[in-house]
Amino acid sequence: MMQTTPAAPAGLAVTPRSRFFEGGFPYWHEVVLAILLIGLMVVAGVMDPRFVQPRRQLLLSTHVWELALLALPMTYIIVTGGIDLSVGAMIALSGVVLGLTYEAGMNIWLCCALALATGTAAGALNGVFVSLVRVHPLIVTLATLSAYRGIAEGISSGRPLSGFPDDFSWLGRGDVGGVPIAAIIFAGAAIVAGVVMWKTPFGRSLYAMGYNETATRFSGIKTRKIKFILYTMSGLSAAVAAILLVGRRNTAKADIGAQMELDVITAVVLGGTSIFGGRGRILGTVLGVLLIHETRKFVEWRFHNDPLISVVVGALLIVAVLLNSAFTPRGRE
Amino acid sequence: MTSVAPLTSPAAAGGFWRELARQREWSIAALIALTVVVVASVNRDFLALDVFRNIFVAAAPAAIVGCGLTFVILTGEIDISVGSLMGVCAVAMGQLASPSYANLPVPAAIGLTLLLATGVGFINGLLVTFGRVPSIIVTLGMLTALRGATELLMAGKWITDLPAGLRFFGTGRLLSVPISIWVAVVVVIASMILARNTPLGRRIYAVGSSPSAARLAGLSPNRIKLFAFTLTGFLVGVATIVSVPQLSTIESGIGAGFELVVVTAVVVGGTSISGGKGTIIGTVLGVVLLGMVRTVLVFLKLGQEATYWERAIQGGFILIAVLVDHVTRRRGAEESS
Repeated sequence: MMQTTPAAPAGLAVTPRSRFFEGGFPYWHEVVLAILLIGLMVVAGVMDPRFVQPRRQLLLSTHVWELALLALPMTYIIVTGGIDLSVGAMIALSGVVLGLTYEAGMNIWLCCALALATGTAAGALNGVFVSLVRVHPLIVTLATLSAYRGIAEGISSGRPLSGFPDDFSWLGRGDVGGVPIAAIIFAGAAIVAGVVMWKTPFGRSLYAMGYNETATRFSGIKTRKIKFILYTMSGLSAAVAAILLVGRRNTAKADIGAQMELDVITAVVLGGTSIFGGRGRILGTVLGVLLIHETRKFVEWRFHNDPLISVVVGALLIVAVLLNSAFTPRGRE
Repeated sequence: MTSVAPLTSPAAAGGFWRELARQREWSIAALIALTVVVVASVNRDFLALDVFRNIFVAAAPAAIVGCGLTFVILTGEIDISVGSLMGVCAVAMGQLASPSYANLPVPAAIGLTLLLATGVGFINGLLVTFGRVPSIIVTLGMLTALRGATELLMAGKWITDLPAGLRFFGTGRLLSVPISIWVAVVVVIASMILARNTPLGRRIYAVGSSPSAARLAGLSPNRIKLFAFTLTGFLVGVATIVSVPQLSTIESGIGAGFELVVVTAVVVGGTSISGGKGTIIGTVLGVVLLGMVRTVLVFLKLGQEATYWERAIQGGFILIAVLVDHVTRRRGAEESS
């Protein structure tokens, strides 16, 4: 929300039209997303007023918070020109570690700590391969996608693990004054992520890396260290998402979070982050997540038709990027 | 256009062994041979004709699609929609041929399936080249959309009454070799000839090595990429026709995760994800190596639990391949990334 303040009102006042068409107004993507979102909610509200009730919205929102949480580090990573396909697999691995250690009789909070450590270690391994071994992140995370999910399947033999205590499940299901715990965690993380990206040297160097990594490294920014931190953070977020997810379902299994990486990347790209790096904001990602979520829930609610949603979301992704590239000057790529 | 990049990188100063390790094909072939020897020494039954026939039948669809995807990755693009496309083709083929749906003659059903697959590949290519949408986004969107389309078409049902004429493509044999293996061999040989001995093949390498240089040399990267995507779509159709009728039922989950298997195989086979470097034979060896894992785990008699580790081992293979690359890479070449 805080990023919507106009960037240069003075500049806009001088030559509004040319500035706008040269990309001087930097938030048009967010504006388009917000209009789409508001339009969707208005249409939904007219067709079925019950859908837009706040209480109903909160009930429908249980699935979105884990996805939204993963979209934050993914935005950072994609802005630097990287990608992380292994987030779903890291959820599975952390979740299974949580389930197995609890089954072995450990204290549930110790199990949570171990799950967080597992996710962080998995992310750090991605980071080592991307930053030190310098392999394309698509390849690294494709490999670890198979490897982490495979390890999760291997150590759990594909069994579901359940029977968690109530005070743990509260993390995934409970609420404070009607607001789900997961939503509070996400809101805090999103504000921190947005401010860091917007206002700190660290955040600005992410954009620099996305534009030209070599030049950024030569200007004294430790690009490899930053990449390592980003992929590690992605693993940590996956572990947090795993704890919320396992708490909500009260079951951990090696197939949790399957295909989630695709949803996360779709939301980030729909939110205006360039897959080539250098462009993107947390606000856009949040709007992208919300747009996909509301579209999905509305189609589910109104038409009871799950497969149609995939077609709509897939088409939405391609069209959004097609429009985006149509508006981008040719030389920029 | 006179000459473009040779199939493998020029000889390094690093000596014979380093050069050998750099040619990924030899290291994978050696790894496959070593695996066969080790497993056979643990369990004699492994060295049976049936076992290898099953491995190759299971690997055939990935080999067929892998050839197309190798060309796509050689041009510096990627296609992760092949699994979903296979699902939609399987359902379309089933519904066109099945007596309880369209009940078309088998050749017509096959022709339309190929047309659908080629058409989707062509659309992918158009969006990437003339739509200027990154291929990972286009094919990610396609992956999602086609998976939904498959489920919409199936509406939760299964197709169980495939005509015998169609089942033949999956279960039939020619000179006691299954049809799918014949088709895979033909596709692989044709792709090798295309890659090595035709101007188009050399142009694919040229575009991947340096799109701007290729453009200056008078090539059109867009048209060559469009060809690669269309070919991949067509080959997904071919793979569907020879593999899906092996099953007696068609359900909407067919092809899920197939894209990961194929991309993994191509990368393990030594094709560079940034384009311009890689061979068809490397891809085929990668497909066989990854396809062997499950069978090997069974024959090593490690118990039922062992097969759960299949994916972990496959993922490990890519990481090892990538590490080997890193160790053997010339110092001068690596700063370019």
